[in-house]
Amino acid sequence: MAEDSEWVPESVAGFLGSPDWLIPLADFMENHCSVFDDEDENKLSYTEVHQQYKHLVERLLENYMQEVGISEQQFLRACSSFTGSKDLQAVFQPVLATDDFPMFRSLMVQKNMELQLQALHVIKERNGGLPECLTDGVDVMNELEQQEMKILQEVLQRSKQEYDLEMMALGRQEREDQASTSSSLSDAPLGNSCETHTAGDSGTRQTNTTNGSVTEAAELKIKPAQSAASGQAEALPAVRPPLSAEHTSPERPRDDCRPLADEEALQQRSEYLKQQRDKLQARKRDQTPKSPADTPPAAPEPKASAQEMSEEKKRLQKRKHLAEKLREEVIRK
Amino acid sequence: MGEVQKGLFSVIEKLKGTTEQELRIVLLGLDNAGKTTLLKQLASEDVNTITPTQGFNIKSVTCDSMKLNVWDIGGQRKIRPFWKKYLANTDLLIYVIDSADKKRFEETGLELSDLTDEENLRGVPLLIFANKQDLATASPASEIAEGLNLHTYRDREWQIQACSAVSGEGVQDGMNWISNNIVNKKK
Repeated sequence: MAEDSEWVPESVAGFLGSPDWLIPLADFMENHCSVFDDEDENKLSYTEVHQQYKHLVERLLENYMQEVGISEQQFLRACSSFTGSKDLQAVFQPVLATDDFPMFRSLMVQKNMELQLQALHVIKERNGGLPECLTDGVDVMNELEQQEMKILQEVLQRSKQEYDLEMMALGRQEREDQASTSSSLSDAPLGNSCETHTAGDSGTRQTNTTNGSVTEAAELKIKPAQSAASGQAEALPAVRPPLSAEHTSPERPRDDCRPLADEEALQQRSEYLKQQRDKLQARKRDQTPKSPADTPPAAPEPKASAQEMSEEKKRLQKRKHLAEKLREEVIRK
Repeated sequence: MGEVQKGLFSVIEKLKGTTEQELRIVLLGLDNAGKTTLLKQLASEDVNTITPTQGFNIKSVTCDSMKLNVWDIGGQRKIRPFWKKYLANTDLLIYVIDSADKKRFEETGLELSDLTDEENLRGVPLLIFANKQDLATASPASEIAEGLNLHTYRDREWQIQACSAVSGEGVQDGMNWISNNIVNKKK
């Protein structure tokens, strides 16, 4: 038996490091690791896989022992001689895993994670980035929510500024002249309210039409304005969407620069909103080329062509949605 | 094949370099008996977030310098056929009964007698936990023992222990029995 110690342990160690042993085991693990996750509870299927693994290891070891011509006793004695060496213990781990389910499980979980990381790497290399569905969903949601909140806050702030301005102007206007712009006022909101009216539809429905006006800013502002100065239709000029200035200002005899300033602010705001909105949309669409709508044209064109109008409608719908949210926000406050 | 396994096992223990011996304990019983709660109680883990076990759980507990590997396998009816895959080389069967679930005493008795007929569990000591003693409607352990005809079990050591896995009451008494009757005899 003395000659055993000469070559058997070496041969066993050699076999445990050879492709004849390592490749079938690696194949097995790669093929079966997908069910292994790092949940606390084990699945019943793990046991099935573990059984198959045991059989594989047994078969491989039996084949090896037959081929080399050593007995089980010799093999076991060789294995015992490994106990001292840490390196050889590591080599022996796949054998230990046959009888140690937790060890087997951790090997499989590890392999599964490796494969997942590899897959992610491949996807990254191919696409230059991960599709959103593979990034952490929670984080993305938070980011989106934060972005949304930022926009809402910004809008609210601006809205408040404008409201203050408006109230100031209201006071001034009341003092100055009561019924100056009612006819010109009606034009602009009408043109903008893409829902049912066309421009110049009616000159007698200022309050209604302004209510129908779809820009979120307008909707927002109307609420406080109406409650503050209900019945005063002429109090609502600030609500008029941008660009309506072109049509209204010439008709307006007054030298008042307030509406212009308002319109400018509105325009700025709607532009900003649209940009933010588009950014969000672009993110959601995940790297798909940005839509032409991205280039921010100045706020809604009241006298736009029919084609533009339909595009406008879409945009306005988006804004309406945002406005809903804003309103909730305002009401909650 | 079996030879290799047994041989390997002794080698493995040497390779692990551990001097402590290991015991394999299987924890069975009907669904909702409290097996996983008991397991977590044994491992001193939180018992408040336990959901029905679909697969199985394993915890290792040290008892008198012996490592107890406790396997808790789900007790739902559809899982019970899998129990027998986990019985090989078992040193102790722990069977958990919901003492307040009188309607299923017969069912749990049948499952237990099926288990004790298993070849792999021949002569394997049996510890029964009459669990949920914290509930007012729980039957006392003696009554359950009678219902299960435990006194007719002559082929193995057995013990019935009243306990509440949720509060931990009685669990240590069961462990003491394991320690005195199995762990120390194995040494």
